[in-house]
Amino acid sequence: MSRLGVFVCHCGENIGATVDVTEVAERCKHMPGVAHAEDYKYLCSNPGQNKIKQAIEEHQLDGVVVAACSPRMHEPTFRRAVTDAGLNAYMCEVANLREHCSWVHEKADSTTEKAIDLVRLQVEKVKRNKPLDTIQVPITRSALVIGGGIAGIQAALDIADSGHKVIMVERSPALGGHMAQLSETFPTLDCSQCILTPRMVDVSRHPNITLLTYSEVEHVEGFIGNFKVAIRKRARMVDEDLCTGCGECLQKCPTKNVADSFNEGLSMRRAIYVPFAQAVPNIPVIDTENCRKFQGKKCDRCAKACPTKAIKFDQKDQIINVEVGAIVVATGYQVMGTERFPEYGYGTYPDVITGLQFERYASASGPTQGVIKRPSDGKEPETVVFLACSGSRDAAKGVKYCSKICCMYTAKHAMLLKHKNHHAKAYVFYMDIRSAGKNYDEFVRRAIEEDGVKYIRGRVSRIYEEDGKLIVKGADTLLGGEPVEIKADMVVLASAALPNHGQGELAQKLHVGTDPYGFVAEAHPKLRPVETTSAGIFLAGACQSPRDIPETVGQASAAAAKVTALLSRSHLAREPLVAEVNRKPAPQFSDCTGCLLCETACPYQAIGHEEIKDRNGNVLKTVAKINPGLCQGCGTCVSLCRTKAIDLHGYSNEQIFAEIMSL
Amino acid sequence: MADEAFEPKITAFVCNWCTYAGADLTGTSRLKYQSNIRIIRLPCTGRVDFMLIQKAFARGSDGVIVSGCHPNDCHYTSGNYHARRRWMVFNDLMEFMGLDMRRVTFSWVSAAEGAKWATLVNEVTDHLRELGPYTEYQRLLNAGVA
Amino acid sequence: MDVLRNKARDLLAQGQVQVVIGYEAGTGGARRPSFVRSEADVARLVWDADCVGNLAGYLTRAEIKKMGKIAVVANAATLRALLQLTAEHQLAEGAVSALVVTEEGAVLELSNAQAVTEHVATLPASLSAADREKLDQLMALSREERRAFWEQELQRCIKCYACRSSCPMCYCGSCTMDCNRPQWVPVASHEMGNLEYHTVRAMHLAGRCVECGECGRACPVGIPIHLLTCYAEESVRRQFGQPAGTSATLNYALGTFRPDDQETFIR
Repeated sequence: MSRLGVFVCHCGENIGATVDVTEVAERCKHMPGVAHAEDYKYLCSNPGQNKIKQAIEEHQLDGVVVAACSPRMHEPTFRRAVTDAGLNAYMCEVANLREHCSWVHEKADSTTEKAIDLVRLQVEKVKRNKPLDTIQVPITRSALVIGGGIAGIQAALDIADSGHKVIMVERSPALGGHMAQLSETFPTLDCSQCILTPRMVDVSRHPNITLLTYSEVEHVEGFIGNFKVAIRKRARMVDEDLCTGCGECLQKCPTKNVADSFNEGLSMRRAIYVPFAQAVPNIPVIDTENCRKFQGKKCDRCAKACPTKAIKFDQKDQIINVEVGAIVVATGYQVMGTERFPEYGYGTYPDVITGLQFERYASASGPTQGVIKRPSDGKEPETVVFLACSGSRDAAKGVKYCSKICCMYTAKHAMLLKHKNHHAKAYVFYMDIRSAGKNYDEFVRRAIEEDGVKYIRGRVSRIYEEDGKLIVKGADTLLGGEPVEIKADMVVLASAALPNHGQGELAQKLHVGTDPYGFVAEAHPKLRPVETTSAGIFLAGACQSPRDIPETVGQASAAAAKVTALLSRSHLAREPLVAEVNRKPAPQFSDCTGCLLCETACPYQAIGHEEIKDRNGNVLKTVAKINPGLCQGCGTCVSLCRTKAIDLHGYSNEQIFAEIMSL
Repeated sequence: MADEAFEPKITAFVCNWCTYAGADLTGTSRLKYQSNIRIIRLPCTGRVDFMLIQKAFARGSDGVIVSGCHPNDCHYTSGNYHARRRWMVFNDLMEFMGLDMRRVTFSWVSAAEGAKWATLVNEVTDHLRELGPYTEYQRLLNAGVA
Repeated sequence: MDVLRNKARDLLAQGQVQVVIGYEAGTGGARRPSFVRSEADVARLVWDADCVGNLAGYLTRAEIKKMGKIAVVANAATLRALLQLTAEHQLAEGAVSALVVTEEGAVLELSNAQAVTEHVATLPASLSAADREKLDQLMALSREERRAFWEQELQRCIKCYACRSSCPMCYCGSCTMDCNRPQWVPVASHEMGNLEYHTVRAMHLAGRCVECGECGRACPVGIPIHLLTCYAEESVRRQFGQPAGTSATLNYALGTFRPDDQETFIR
């Protein structure tokens, strides 16, 4: 038989005014299992808490019900108090007599009766409470950052600067991501590479960062504080230790006609290449799909040219296994290609380009050294039309969402065109101008008012070629939908930002949720914006949704702060209110049938399975296993389980059943 | 017992993060509602086993309220979505078995909807008072062993 | 029928399987399960339109699993149960071969989940026309009439659990019905307990029922108990489009969700 103590609080007049508190305490004395009951003016005060502590010792109580305000208010207070008196914190429950009773009902016998019922509920629950201990999860104090764009770079540097080891994985041969491709950045028009490259060098030189480029995450298992990650380091065919980055090999390669992806296909590169001049690491990679040697032809000119014998045609992919405590996903985005727009020629008109291609033309290190030219004939365009919202905010043909960065970069593009060629004409077709941000609207106004960019509110219905010009047919909705036709030399589509290619597969490997568009989902849209749905995995940058550089950097630092907070401890303490699969003596072993229907129902991917074996290692039964490090205690699996093999500590079947039966 | 003396017994299963907190807000806002309801606190609507609803009726409840976070607002991201599917099947099956589903109220009440909670409880209480005791169910309890 | 017997004989003779589970003649023209373990016994096997029972229920029994590799003569419902059991990790992939007699009298041996999945995709629904009609009739009644119908039916239940034993999906070693901490459902065949039992069974089979009707056939007092699980399954199919018994990979409607699931009753 339990020896419970019930403590009923008057909360000054807050409870006492409508509930007969003395009567409640008196009636509780007669409840089975209650050894002591008393009322007090303010139980949360120090004297009030001391009363509870004294009573626990005096009456040798093994459980406590405090009938007071909402448990969301003072449950921690009272749990601490009972711990001081030597009871387990989870042997204390709170009956909510204030918010759920005295404040919402009039003074009446029925209100007092309800208060008694609410106490009885908790009395019956506490009788079935079990002492619980905080769960301690050890933490591997290092982090993995996936993606070497500005988001990943910032997160990696911040984590590394706080003294933790970071492993950075970048899929392409060099760091930098999309930011390395940009010409100038809004709203200050400072050169993108100038501000980015020092950060790239910092990453490569940081003693706490291990940089793995040309590498991808192959497999992830484990949970918060304890991830095991297999990384595939693809063969560059160049020995990174021997290569000095002299570039001799690049000059000798006879294959010169590979579309250069760094330049968005606007120029050609060789089969052995460094993506761009400032690349970090400055180590070439052989593109085996285009290299003659790998196409079965005789060629080893690069190897012959190499003064350090760094070219290794027999290099193989390597699998590198690492253990980390936290992961940051910073995998960025891609832009919708021009081939996705039937009304703009399905990508067949060479002079209809994406914004990212325009960036390469505008960049001093781009294919034209910063002179804006058009792809078809290399002439400098006089009239350029920019189409904002190409594919964005278009549920029918593109994506529903706003790609967010296009309004600003379109203004920048038009401005750059005017700066480089004062005679050029720039037209922008737009739906709305979204320029919220520090100095953003001023920037757009500048494009319109100082640089004379012509903004037309309306959509473009069709583009076609005629006499070497692109005929852009649209409407000006501010002039009542009057048709507009512009003979342009070049059209730039501010095409929608999409989840990066391979994002879905990576999300699956990591067990993180994605939104309906395929972007990585945050744990809570407002309060947990840099956490994913998997504990210990964080996100930064455009992998969550399209965003600009300042926002990305801020978010990357936020993710890094979350990671360092996690890694600053040797163990992670978690509330023990987690679900557990039961065990029974042989031959049942557990009520679990191993159907594993619960696996998909868990919002945290905390459910896996384990084999129960005999001493010879033979599998006797396979049952579900809940990882207490991942379980957050929602109980969705508990109510799904047909055999009631899963139960939730703190909200067990017996406890809730008893609560119902007490009414 | 005369009809006017009937007071319905109502059991509510609510999630800790939205509806329980919403009901707290009803209190801090000093909004009044009728006192027939008894709230059982659970972590999430995902924890609401349909058998809890059954047992509440078996124990003599005249009505049951199940309430949690609105879709997309679940503290556990998707517990309420799973709960919703279960209720969709449970509700449908109960209708097929001819049970009186007017006595079960499913709702989303957020931590900010203190007023909605008060209105909901009052409406459910009034409605159940109109419907009268759930005799067709409680009768089964008293039926002899076959 | 000879083709089937020959196939069974071959499988046993070559040691490819140790037991063939099929149908044999029972009393009064009925068909009953047959466990053929030697070539000499293959003559007992029969196949005709009366072979309606779902033999998949035997596949998860420990004493049967112990016999070795199994071939089961499978009708549509058995095949569906086979898939669902595989999806629910109760049958190892390839542990059971299904023998299907085609309308032309040929015998197909479906020895892996993919073959079964592909074959099942060509089959019509398991629910019989008579049951379909009965379900529609019940739905056309008023709630009061439906309550009266089920109250009438369920009060005859003697809680013998024949429905549970006959159901291929009721393989759980320990059932909620037998749980006594807490005692969720009263043990005795009591009207409240009966109602609770059958509700629980239907809920537990929603999204898992292969609509074989075995529980209804097993009921000694003739309650059309399968209508409950069939209705629950139909409810899942109608609302979520995730039918049971169509795939060997798990796609359990109540263990998954869509953010835009549509309902009309939540306030």
